Amino acid sequence: MVGNRKPIPTEADITRLTGHSFPGGFYSVAHWENFLLTECTGAALLPDGLVHPVALFHIPIVGAGTSIAEMFALGQAESDLSIMIESYDWEIFVALREKTRYAINGSITSAKRCRNEQGNLYDRIQFCFELHTPDDSLAARVTITWHYTRNML
Amino acid sequence: MKLAVGDSIPEWEMASVSPERMRTMAAILRDPNPLHWDRDAVDALPLGLGKRTINQGPLGLSYIINMLQAWGGPDCLRRIVMRFPQVVLDGERVVARGEISVLREEQGVWLADCSIRLEHDDRGVLLEGTATIVLAENAILID
Repeated sequence: MVGNRKPIPTEADITRLTGHSFPGGFYSVAHWENFLLTECTGAALLPDGLVHPVALFHIPIVGAGTSIAEMFALGQAESDLSIMIESYDWEIFVALREKTRYAINGSITSAKRCRNEQGNLYDRIQFCFELHTPDDSLAARVTITWHYTRNML
Repeated sequence: MKLAVGDSIPEWEMASVSPERMRTMAAILRDPNPLHWDRDAVDALPLGLGKRTINQGPLGLSYIINMLQAWGGPDCLRRIVMRFPQVVLDGERVVARGEISVLREEQGVWLADCSIRLEHDDRGVLLEGTATIVLAENAILID
């Protein structure tokens, strides 16, 4: 991996990401998608078209018009292997259902350079996404916080 | 259902974390990270994990959601905040556990704040965090 490692971005390159907005868009969860996702969790399909909350990882990302790969690239990840999860914060105000068209927006709410207890450099980037129902009620808010490690892996 | 602060939530077990499910999940999530499907990539990391694949963070989190939903109902979850101190590897047996930390009323709805975690018999706590669930109307709260 070392030979393929990208150069470390400047601190300014990271901090200027704060406020970056994704294009936004819409997402509907199809039955097949909910079925497969739920199967991956080891649970039975939920009743009445309820979507398993695990969908709150990819729905916001795809629906906001971005991708995991683009999120890695925005923080100039040195490789796909270099991202560590700090936390996921999922707030649900209205249970998600199949075939409902959610309007989704997202942005980078924080981006800063840090050092861990061992003195290793990393960049902490926080993304926030909101999902709204067709009647414009806030259905869910998702906050993803990742560490873009530098020269650690 | 009688509830009190300190009560344990019935645990939920994933008997063996499946590498096949990681691959399906990677495709659905459009997740390019080879840690979830390429054992050689994991083996090449300086982490000493060997030829294993690493479970997606949301999948580990989903085991805890399954525990909460089996206990509180399919639409009980209002918030979950999860941290990931250790990875979850393919083939591992992991168990979701939790306890009630706070019982409170908010706008006429009774909520339980819970301490939650995903544990491995040998490696201890792999994921940890908090969750808030809506209590069923027939829940009886004990001081």
